[in-house]
Amino acid sequence: MAGLTPIAITGLGVLSGAGMNLPESMETLFRNERHPHPPFRFSTDHPVSYPVLELREEFKLPLDAGETVYARTSQLALVAALEALTDAGWNVESLRDKRVGVCVGTTVGCALNCDEFYRAYKDEEQPDMKIIERFLRSNPAAVIARQLKLDGPTQTVVNACSSGTDAIGIGASWLRAGVCDIVIAGGADELARVTYAGFSSLMITDPDPCKPFDAERKGLNLGEGAGLLVLESAKVREEKKTRGTLLGYGSASDAHHLTAPHPDGTGLKQALAVAFVAADVTPEQITFINAHGTGTPDNDRVESRVMNDVLPGVPFVSTKGYTGHTLGAAGGIEAAFTVACLQRQEIPASIGFSTADPELLTTPVQENCSVFGDVALSESLAFGGNNAVLIFGRGES
Amino acid sequence: MKMAIQGIGLTAGFGSGIEALRSALQSGRAASVTGNGEQSAFRADVSGLAEFIPKRALRRIDHFSKMTLLGACLALKDADLLDADRSRTGVVIASGYGALKTTFNFLDSYLDFGYSCSSPTHFSNSVHNAAAAHVSIQLKTTAPSLTVTQFEMSVPSALLSAQQWLAEGRVDQVLFGAVDESCDVLTYCREQFFGSGEQGPLQPLTFAEQSAVAGEGAVFFVLNRETDTAPYGFIDGVRMGNYLVRPTILPEGDQLIVGADGHKECGRWYQQLLKGRKVAAYSPLYGSFPAAVGFDLAVAAVSQCDGKLYASPAANGSPAALPTQKLGGEQLSCLKLGPGGDYGLIRLST
Amino acid sequence: MSVKEKLKQVLIEDLNLEDVEPNEIEDDMALFGDGLGLDSLDAVELVVIVQKHFGVEIKDMEEGRPAFQTISTLAQYIEERMA
Repeated sequence: MAGLTPIAITGLGVLSGAGMNLPESMETLFRNERHPHPPFRFSTDHPVSYPVLELREEFKLPLDAGETVYARTSQLALVAALEALTDAGWNVESLRDKRVGVCVGTTVGCALNCDEFYRAYKDEEQPDMKIIERFLRSNPAAVIARQLKLDGPTQTVVNACSSGTDAIGIGASWLRAGVCDIVIAGGADELARVTYAGFSSLMITDPDPCKPFDAERKGLNLGEGAGLLVLESAKVREEKKTRGTLLGYGSASDAHHLTAPHPDGTGLKQALAVAFVAADVTPEQITFINAHGTGTPDNDRVESRVMNDVLPGVPFVSTKGYTGHTLGAAGGIEAAFTVACLQRQEIPASIGFSTADPELLTTPVQENCSVFGDVALSESLAFGGNNAVLIFGRGES
Repeated sequence: MKMAIQGIGLTAGFGSGIEALRSALQSGRAASVTGNGEQSAFRADVSGLAEFIPKRALRRIDHFSKMTLLGACLALKDADLLDADRSRTGVVIASGYGALKTTFNFLDSYLDFGYSCSSPTHFSNSVHNAAAAHVSIQLKTTAPSLTVTQFEMSVPSALLSAQQWLAEGRVDQVLFGAVDESCDVLTYCREQFFGSGEQGPLQPLTFAEQSAVAGEGAVFFVLNRETDTAPYGFIDGVRMGNYLVRPTILPEGDQLIVGADGHKECGRWYQQLLKGRKVAAYSPLYGSFPAAVGFDLAVAAVSQCDGKLYASPAANGSPAALPTQKLGGEQLSCLKLGPGGDYGLIRLST
Repeated sequence: MSVKEKLKQVLIEDLNLEDVEPNEIEDDMALFGDGLGLDSLDAVELVVIVQKHFGVEIKDMEEGRPAFQTISTLAQYIEERMA
């Protein structure tokens, strides 16, 4: 593989436990604040309540969706997509004569894990079929395309926790191939009882606010949200300023285990190597890393080892302390943060870290710091051994 | 960039392996419908997996992933690549619903025994990329992996990305698969939506009638950049969009294989777009499920290989059906329509 | 049935160890790694198994690790905590 054409990023949209849009989320990050709490929107009979990062406010769908009700994940995706499009200077009408693709990562947004419906089904009560109808019209990529009346490819990527990162890399390749003029790409995921029960059962949720890369880390906090980017071909962008540039994307599989990362991080190393070739940059050019940094003992150990080997000394931050692990949305949200941090030449403290782990050779940044450079990197590791990396260039300001 | 089809592997109600598809096409007989959901005649048999994967390795692998693995192994065998190095082989899987049974098994674990007994094994296998992960682990594919869930459009959508991975040189070949499974909850939902009794026969070209019968299966293709040798011909390209937002023109001279599968609602869309054009449909062989577009594609590939368009099964002399014919210079295209004007078109060539 | 015997039986059933007979699992055989060959995902499933079949809660892996050595250590852990 050789270097690939860079792709312009013209708009960003984020909805997360850190804020109801990108500026608000960034402000929370740089104020070093976080608001984990027990889940409000559902309950379980777990003996311990695990903190989560839910959206702090209700939100209203900015479009007239009529009587149509979408699942929460798709609503989140739609809100972030509109923020990103506005940020890029597109109104919805102006997209009608363009070929616009939508590529969105998710986990909950595609799973038929409607437990209320299923409980009624099991009890031979009459389950409410509206739940299934809502599921069937709530494919995140399809919802964005349908609601904005777009003509172009749609793809919902379900690569678990690297979905958002993969979706952005894939969206860029559609533009390079001339499949479309604009791609709305990123990820979205709602907080759900099913994933809460699942991650608890894997014993990788921290009963306290999470502590990525810390010696005392016990696991992740779940979060919810959406992060979407507007990617544009040179043809439609014309002279418009960019937020940043997508320089490269790499992905690779561990081929090792369903839930555990390869102890040597072979897949992550390979994904990094591919991303460097695609972006035509060297590790020395990387200004900072937005690490996956979930706060689970395994993830942080492997990721730290790989960063120390491939990107020694490069400052890194996990923003999951602020947003929680938003699963399929994480890659999208963190891509937006990475691009925005490159623009302001500053990264926030990696919240939750206080004590260095003697087993790890690297530590994340402990206070907000200025950075000086034009290239940054965001990485994601996922269930099933997926690893994905995006490399971004600094935008014009 | 064209993608060369080097091998096909599959399992569905009619049997496993490309020869099973070929003889189903030759006999032209739809599978008889003897039961619903998990007892359906359209249920795929995965016992053939024993030839490829040791039993111990399968202990945590569910039916969905077993279909996936069997399809993938048979495709590699068909391409004579079972022993090849797979460090540059990508895995791309399209599924409308993912591993439904395991999704519900996970819910069972906490609904029956309380949240503290939520099963981590079921949870990890219910994540939609679990099947791709099992392929990657068992077949040692270390290149990129992608799972796509786009309901009816899953196959064209995933194929579009597989094509870019080959074009950008991220992989040298792709194991491209389409997988869906039937389950009792799905049967229940279908009964609520469409009325009771999916008794068949499935008559996809009788657009105005509901005749869908839930099916399941997995089909895999070994795709690469070869420009000369391609036993099943080539996939020229994929087009996706919305014909209500912008009208689309279907390729004039192509023979169309449509993904119509007996849903009255979808039948209306085909009727609207096809405007009386004769087409072929093969869903009576494998049943109705989103990833069945992958089987349409396999039928197209086999037809190219045999130089012959097979009769649409259960067409009963429908005026909408293309007759059996030798393929001359015309190309084959697979068309799938979704709700609200969504379309996916996969064009092949020899 | 003793706790050990029941453990062997539910291990085979719930971890789907179809190729193993209960009498092939020795009391002092390592459950993980080279012995029975269980892995990290089995470990968390084992927590559920112990909860479900014996009503004994294992709060985290640090607590579970010493018990998860062999059938003997696990049976002892369970017996000590069963009412």
